[in-house]
Amino acid sequence: MSAKSTIIIIEDEKNICNFMATTLTAQGYKIITAANAKSGLSLIASCCPDLILLDMGLPDMDGIDVIKDIRSWASIPIIVISARTQEKEKVLALDTGADDYITKPFGPSELFARIRTALRHSNRLNTDSRLTLRPYEADGLIIDFDKHLITLSGSEVHLTQVEFKIISLLAQNSGRVMTYDSIISNVWGPYADDNNRILRVNMANIRRKLEKNPAEPHYIFTEIGIGYRMLEDKAG
Amino acid sequence: MTVYHKFFSEDTRLYKIYKEKFTDVSVTLLLLLLATLLSFIYWRISQNAANIALLYVIALVLIARKTEGYFWGIFASLVGVICINYLFTYPYYSLNFTLTGYPITFLGMLAVALTTSAVTNNMRNQMQMLADREKLLVEAEKEKMRANLLRAISHDLRTPLTSIIGASASYITNEEVLNEEQKKELVSHIYEDSNWLLNMVENLLSVTRIQDGVANVNKSYESVEEVISEAIIRLKKRLPDTQLSVRVPDELIMIPMDAILIEQVLINLLENAALHSRSELPIECYVDETADFVTFHVRDYGIGISPERLSTIFSGTAYTGNSSADSSRGMGIGLTICKTIITAHKGKLRVKSHDAGTEFYFILPKA
Repeated sequence: MSAKSTIIIIEDEKNICNFMATTLTAQGYKIITAANAKSGLSLIASCCPDLILLDMGLPDMDGIDVIKDIRSWASIPIIVISARTQEKEKVLALDTGADDYITKPFGPSELFARIRTALRHSNRLNTDSRLTLRPYEADGLIIDFDKHLITLSGSEVHLTQVEFKIISLLAQNSGRVMTYDSIISNVWGPYADDNNRILRVNMANIRRKLEKNPAEPHYIFTEIGIGYRMLEDKAG
Repeated sequence: MTVYHKFFSEDTRLYKIYKEKFTDVSVTLLLLLLATLLSFIYWRISQNAANIALLYVIALVLIARKTEGYFWGIFASLVGVICINYLFTYPYYSLNFTLTGYPITFLGMLAVALTTSAVTNNMRNQMQMLADREKLLVEAEKEKMRANLLRAISHDLRTPLTSIIGASASYITNEEVLNEEQKKELVSHIYEDSNWLLNMVENLLSVTRIQDGVANVNKSYESVEEVISEAIIRLKKRLPDTQLSVRVPDELIMIPMDAILIEQVLINLLENAALHSRSELPIECYVDETADFVTFHVRDYGIGISPERLSTIFSGTAYTGNSSADSSRGMGIGLTICKTIITAHKGKLRVKSHDAGTEFYFILPKA
């Protein structure tokens, strides 16, 4: 990170806000904090931050409405902070336009990883580079999107068309969670049946071809009730 | 919630009453029709009217048995008498109430109807009473489980909190006196215990996902291997040194469940095995299936559990009799919650002792 990225934290719980601000400042980010949605939204408009950390349980506004409001005029990456048991809320937030989520309670390393990934993806979009077409590479797995070629520790892996589509989508968004719905509409088109069984079956096949033990995956992780997340691209 | 529930049950009860009334009418008419039909056939074949009354009596008994109250029995006996008089006694196809013995037939049939109805009603009342008592017993059992849970929770929460409060207070008051290493130790104690507390709270939260106690969870089809892998990742985050050996079947299994809850069960079972088995051998976690059920196994090769503790291990009282209660903290509540979750999925949670170690397994239905 050459220049300091600015992060705005919208969180009403003072202790959590302080903890995040302290650890992120120590990592070299510039931090702005807001205790409610209204002041948060006006700060976003005036400061143009590089990333937004948004708590879903704000006192003055519903988190989903805040995301809608921001997305109506800006594409700044949003990371949602939410409790573990509320999968439906997370899926809704992601489908509304949030980039990723982090589950309370979280440790600093998890927070840094999410922020890095979100900033990386938004940088790619901003510079409009052809980076997304560069092969994905992580721990011996190489996915070449141009040549439709996947190699695992040097040897080629054969996937079906659909399986390749799914894994390309996940790899291009590596490190980020992709909801079931977004994967299905990307791979099968917007009018596909929203029954995600077919996705699970394909995912099970992909795992059997890529992972040493499908029950202890190394590349593709499940976020139960939400979607899938692929191991972050190591070369990027 | 309760108001809604009340309305709902009121509604279904009304519906049930309507339905019962409706079935009563149809049962009565159907049986009478059947009796008349059979009588006709019998009468055509044998030209003997003597046994026809018996056919009606049989229909009458059945009607009184199947319907609610006395009305339909009396109604059927009236219809029966009129039918016999009109159809099967001379003069045919006309009513003649002056026949000798006619009042006797009528009184006899009425008596049969009334007695049968009375017996049936009596039986039904008794059955209702039995069902009510059963319900009360189940309710009491639930109440007992809740009380055990509460007891286990307050005990389990107090231990880590004491340590957290103690460590942080000692850090604040003695900051100048303590050296770096001691400070670090205190903070890492706080870290460990708050992590433990978090796990506990997550367990409790998962119980709130089960509404109304029994068999009411939000189920959707989930892939078994994904739930297992997620549980293992979360366990490894908390206990990175755990040795595990995981196997899943080659084909994808999808069964209806609340994945977050089942994940919680797996984490609890794996964590118990990791913390309490006192063994370096890897914990085995595997799945097998039959035509209708899927079984999840968590097996350790540790010190095992004594038979007397095994018998009460799921009740939440497992450790109250133990002399070193604090050393086994977490065992009680974790397993009680597992049991609650699995029961709510209409599954079974079991424990088996092996020569070396213990095996916990739970069975979930595939549909």
